[in-house]
Amino acid sequence: MPEPEAPPPGASAGPALSRRKFILGVIAGGAVVSAASYRLLAPRAASRPALLGGERLLTLRVNGRLRRAEVAQQETLAWTLRYKLGLTGTKLACDRAECGSCTVLLDDVPHYACSVLTHTVRNRAVTTVEGLAAPDGKLHPLQQAVIAEQGFQCAFCMSGFLMAAAGFLKTNPNPTRTEMAHGVSGNLCRCQDYSKILDTLMHGAELMRKGAQA
Amino acid sequence: MAVVRDIMAPFDLLQPSTAAEAQRLLARYGADAWVLAGGMDSFDWLKDRIKKPAVVVDLSGVTELRGIRPWNGGLEIGAMTTLAEVANHPGVQKNFSLLADAVRHVASPQIRNQATLGGNVSQDVRCWYYRAGWPCYRAAGETCFADTPVGRNREHAIFGADRCVAVHPSDSAPALIALGAQFVLRTASGERVIEAEDYFVGPNREITRINLLQPGDLLASIRIPSDFAGARFYFEKVRDRNVWDFPLLNVASAMRVSGGVIQSVRLAVNAAAPTPLRLRRVEAAVAGKPPDASTGAMAGELAVQGAVPLQFNAFKIPLMRNLVKRAIGGVEKAVWA
Amino acid sequence: MSDQAQSGNPADAKPIPFGQGYKLIGRDYSTPDLPAKVTGRAKYAEDFRAEGMLFAKLVLSPMPHARLRGYDLSRALALPGVRAILTPADVPPAAGPHGERVLTAEPMFQGDPVMAVCAVDEATAAEAIEKIELDFEALPFVIDPLDSLRPNGPNPRAEGNVWFGRELKPLKWTEADFASYANGQLPMGHAPSAWSYGDLDAGFRNAALVLDRSFVTPDVSHQCLEPRSAMAYWQNGKLVIHTGTQSTYQTVPAIARWLGIPQDKIVLVSEYTGGGFGSKVTGTMIMLVPALLAKKVHAPVMMRISREEEQYLGRARPGFQGRMKIGFDRGGRITALDMFVICDSGAYGSQFDVIASGNIVSLLYQPPAMRWRGVSAMTNTPTRSAQSAPGGLQGIAIIEPILAEAARKLKVDQVALRMANSAEGPAEYGPVREGQRAHATSCFLKQALAHGAEQFQWSQRVAQRPRRSGTKIRGVGVSLSAFSGGTIGYDGLLVITPAGKVRFHSGIGNLGTESVIDVHRAAAEVLDVPWDACEVVWGDSSRLLPYTCASDGSQTTHAMTRAAHALGLECRRRLQEVAARTLGGAPEEYEVANLRVFHPGSGAGMSFAEAARHAIALGGIYDGHQPNPGVHPATQAAAAALAGQGLVACARDRFPHDGGTYSYVAAFAEVEVDVETGKYFITDFLAYGDVGTVLHPKSLGGQLLGRSTLGMGHALGQKWVYDPHYGAALARRFYQTKPPTILDVPVDMQWNALNIPDPQTPVGARGVGEPPVGGGCAAILNALSDALGDEIFRRAPVNADTILTSLEAGRPMQLPLATGI
Repeated sequence: MPEPEAPPPGASAGPALSRRKFILGVIAGGAVVSAASYRLLAPRAASRPALLGGERLLTLRVNGRLRRAEVAQQETLAWTLRYKLGLTGTKLACDRAECGSCTVLLDDVPHYACSVLTHTVRNRAVTTVEGLAAPDGKLHPLQQAVIAEQGFQCAFCMSGFLMAAAGFLKTNPNPTRTEMAHGVSGNLCRCQDYSKILDTLMHGAELMRKGAQA
Repeated sequence: MAVVRDIMAPFDLLQPSTAAEAQRLLARYGADAWVLAGGMDSFDWLKDRIKKPAVVVDLSGVTELRGIRPWNGGLEIGAMTTLAEVANHPGVQKNFSLLADAVRHVASPQIRNQATLGGNVSQDVRCWYYRAGWPCYRAAGETCFADTPVGRNREHAIFGADRCVAVHPSDSAPALIALGAQFVLRTASGERVIEAEDYFVGPNREITRINLLQPGDLLASIRIPSDFAGARFYFEKVRDRNVWDFPLLNVASAMRVSGGVIQSVRLAVNAAAPTPLRLRRVEAAVAGKPPDASTGAMAGELAVQGAVPLQFNAFKIPLMRNLVKRAIGGVEKAVWA
Repeated sequence: MSDQAQSGNPADAKPIPFGQGYKLIGRDYSTPDLPAKVTGRAKYAEDFRAEGMLFAKLVLSPMPHARLRGYDLSRALALPGVRAILTPADVPPAAGPHGERVLTAEPMFQGDPVMAVCAVDEATAAEAIEKIELDFEALPFVIDPLDSLRPNGPNPRAEGNVWFGRELKPLKWTEADFASYANGQLPMGHAPSAWSYGDLDAGFRNAALVLDRSFVTPDVSHQCLEPRSAMAYWQNGKLVIHTGTQSTYQTVPAIARWLGIPQDKIVLVSEYTGGGFGSKVTGTMIMLVPALLAKKVHAPVMMRISREEEQYLGRARPGFQGRMKIGFDRGGRITALDMFVICDSGAYGSQFDVIASGNIVSLLYQPPAMRWRGVSAMTNTPTRSAQSAPGGLQGIAIIEPILAEAARKLKVDQVALRMANSAEGPAEYGPVREGQRAHATSCFLKQALAHGAEQFQWSQRVAQRPRRSGTKIRGVGVSLSAFSGGTIGYDGLLVITPAGKVRFHSGIGNLGTESVIDVHRAAAEVLDVPWDACEVVWGDSSRLLPYTCASDGSQTTHAMTRAAHALGLECRRRLQEVAARTLGGAPEEYEVANLRVFHPGSGAGMSFAEAARHAIALGGIYDGHQPNPGVHPATQAAAAALAGQGLVACARDRFPHDGGTYSYVAAFAEVEVDVETGKYFITDFLAYGDVGTVLHPKSLGGQLLGRSTLGMGHALGQKWVYDPHYGAALARRFYQTKPPTILDVPVDMQWNALNIPDPQTPVGARGVGEPPVGGGCAAILNALSDALGDEIFRRAPVNADTILTSLEAGRPMQLPLATGI
């Protein structure tokens, strides 16, 4: 019978297994420019400095408005948008920069809001799906295209795709279908409706060009 | 202690605006500090709660670490310059398209909009045992879980293994090595400039590290000399999915050809070993030969000599052989009717 | 019986233009859920917030099989902000001796939930989890079913390793059974389930070619983009729960059963669900954690499920280890088929896949003699569930590469070989039961194959030269595909309001397939009302829902268009009666069209708005006070609760129905393989459907190509990777489990459908969600073997590593039968 020799992460699995203590090594190679040694970190929160990671009041520029919120220092933008500002159109599906559902624009450039600390975007314009439509409520051409093309299925990925496409179209307003696919390639759709999504986004791009001409 | 792999533990976020200030903070907090650039690697460690630094030093406000400027006929790229900025820079595209090509193959558009060049070369390995927090050699433990009779190691190393069999995952690193780039470090004892390939630390030297940086050090910039400006370049990355995935293997070469023969060449592969590999033996062997199919074939065979496959990664040997072959001898293009 | 039924000979059936003969059915329109979705206003479960809401996080087992001997919660409970910890002692018992529990003291897989912590915020809950000490006794575990079947192999739990019906018992094969393992052929010892028909021996004896191949299919997680988060609170003795589910209607009884409370004490809100694919059929027991905690702490509790938790709790398709021996005559017609499958059913309960695989193979390819044997094994890996075409995908992925090889060996065209074997008309399938075999309602797959081959330019592609250029080789593949496409016997419910609107009450889950809205157009069609006069309420069990099927098994379109058609007829009858009773004459003299019920001769009549007011005045059977007694009690109760709101109509589908309803797809693919890197691209793909009447073309296209791509994922790279020594999941993140991205499929995929109505249902429409899946996978596999030959792979997915090492060696090089690699 196969039996574990060393514990899987974090298990304290009886005396036989607890001899090898799980060690938390901090190897800082991951951070870019970084201290690449390792150390042992005390597992007890009590041993960490008091008031670690407290909240600070921030003013953010979101969808053209100034919004104030108490933001923890380790808080991600997706977290702040969803839970502090109530902008739940930005979805959290993986929280690890692997699906694109949380895509927002920072100064018109698409970013994964799950992987941006809110405290790093103080001076940047944040646009979420809620800010895509005109202030009078007129839908953005990409939104109009979704309705015209019956785009997307469960739509959990939709706001991320729309924001990625909106950002991409600012750099390439007249893309080929292949270029559009590359432009939104950082977004995953698990309904795998990629073909209809491309129909939709290409239609939206066309509406944008027509709107720009008008 | 039970384990939860979600939600970053609290830390104090320090946001210096100059490199000097950043260095001062790093010196003060030493090993308690975590350096944050684009964060694409850092957030994994932090959200998995495997790393719980007391202090995170965010470099995004340090403007002097950002941007691309002329340098000695080549370019100097600030470590905090994003991969998208590198890929879209006219000077990079004109003279060093190898690098533009390489960074365009990193992850996804949104990641390239945020990840930095310094971060891409400094990122940690992606061995799934190590990244899951298992107490392996690289995590200062006493074993390797991937290199066992049943360990799953399709993505792992065919060269350079020394207890640890993880591979270096960077796409930009081999391109920078091929271009002869230099890395500019700021250390407590001042500025230090090193060759690209010397930046990376393999397990034979120190198993819990992946590069030269000591606590308190910063990678400030990467200099690309003019040697290979506008030269003949080749980059190819083979990965499973065409977005997001790390390389199963990549190759980068820069070559000067004159009179039908290779005058000078630099060649590197990554995801074959715990560090990016510069293939000096191959470089020497192809010098003076025409960059054709037969030289390519010879180069490919030479490149994989001494490779040691694990249970599931023997495919990397023909893959590396063929990528090196293409990098030297070119690709036989498909022409369909 | 359909209005559009054609001659009885399916060979004469021709494609019909979408929407022909209808005003709504077969026409594109925009579903009413889109405006909220595009603006970000649509609220999914985790978007809700409630006053005083607390947060729950799960404590997962680090071990594949263990007994929780003891634990110390004191440090966790002492942490400020921690409100409660739910332990296995606090949860309802499992359904049956081997059923899944909400939390368990004997975790059956790494990731099985053991406890749940409730705190003022998630950060505190996470911190508290790290202060919990758990003392586990490690128990034997099994990751690969074959390991447990070996003589003296370990059992995944004390009772055994293999499902015999609902019982788990030990099953060990002999060393002799395992003799074939060394040469890569699946051992075939005793199988608890088996059936056969026809003369198998004669079939093989008379065959011109016999192939015997083993094949392994991957475990693939559903990976719905929306994790299965849930929020719950108790108010005035009622449980209000926000979650995502594939069925608004069917989820309430499930929760009621699990919690042991009456159904009318539950309000379920699930207006938008971020994907299901079979994993959110009626929700899972995990929903109970916030419900139980909310009761314990007297506050609303949100449990956000992380992506890593989703990997453990989010369900997956069971991988198969399969072996199939097929005899062919010279023309490629199957003479006999012997199928053996081992289904890795995971930790709790046997999966339906094992049964379905044999039925689908027998239906699609019509072997004159067939034996099927199945082993459903328990392993200490996460719980499986149905995933789009459960068993269908696996069966098709096992047989299709053998058909492709046979066609090459017999020098028969791939399409011709499938044409020779394809099901047609009321085709029989499955085992003989009480002297006869089941049969399908209809099948026009040969037409789909023929028209698809034409659209894909199959012959031209096959003839195209060169096939190899530079380092690239092109290959083309075709696959048949099918899965169940409908059930019967459900109800519809509508109200014509005094404002003249027709309001449909939909108990269908909103997964984005849009059947939640689409099916009601079948009722609107009967009533001849413009669609903009119709509204649909959905996604909230307090909105009074009719008896509705769950959106699984691709049954909704078929089942609920039948119910809608019945509802349309019932409502029309009631309108005629209201008019006759108000204006005189006989009901049948009145016609219903364009929001009026009127006498065509005299022109006398009334608007729907007036009819609604008259219905209220008449009361009784017209306004819900006396609901149609022919409907399900739940529908009666809903109608009664709507009493007085207008003309309330409800009806049950009692239309005749002969056969099992299946839908069919012919899938075509072209790939381009780089033989120096092993990397390949899908360059073209076509899914051609035989799905009955097309209800909503754009939605149909999304289903045909979306579900095809779901199948392609199994060929392209999706899989689980397990370390068999530690029983631990290694592939946990998307970059490791590899769901296909937009750049992994062609930018221009094609779809089409015959639009030939199914003769056994009044609207003619069948389901489409699952039928394309197997074809999506197998068309890619077949295109690959067309390009590279038959000696490259014996398992899916097929990646650069598979291709390169096999090309190098000239034979399949992967570990042939192991799972989790």
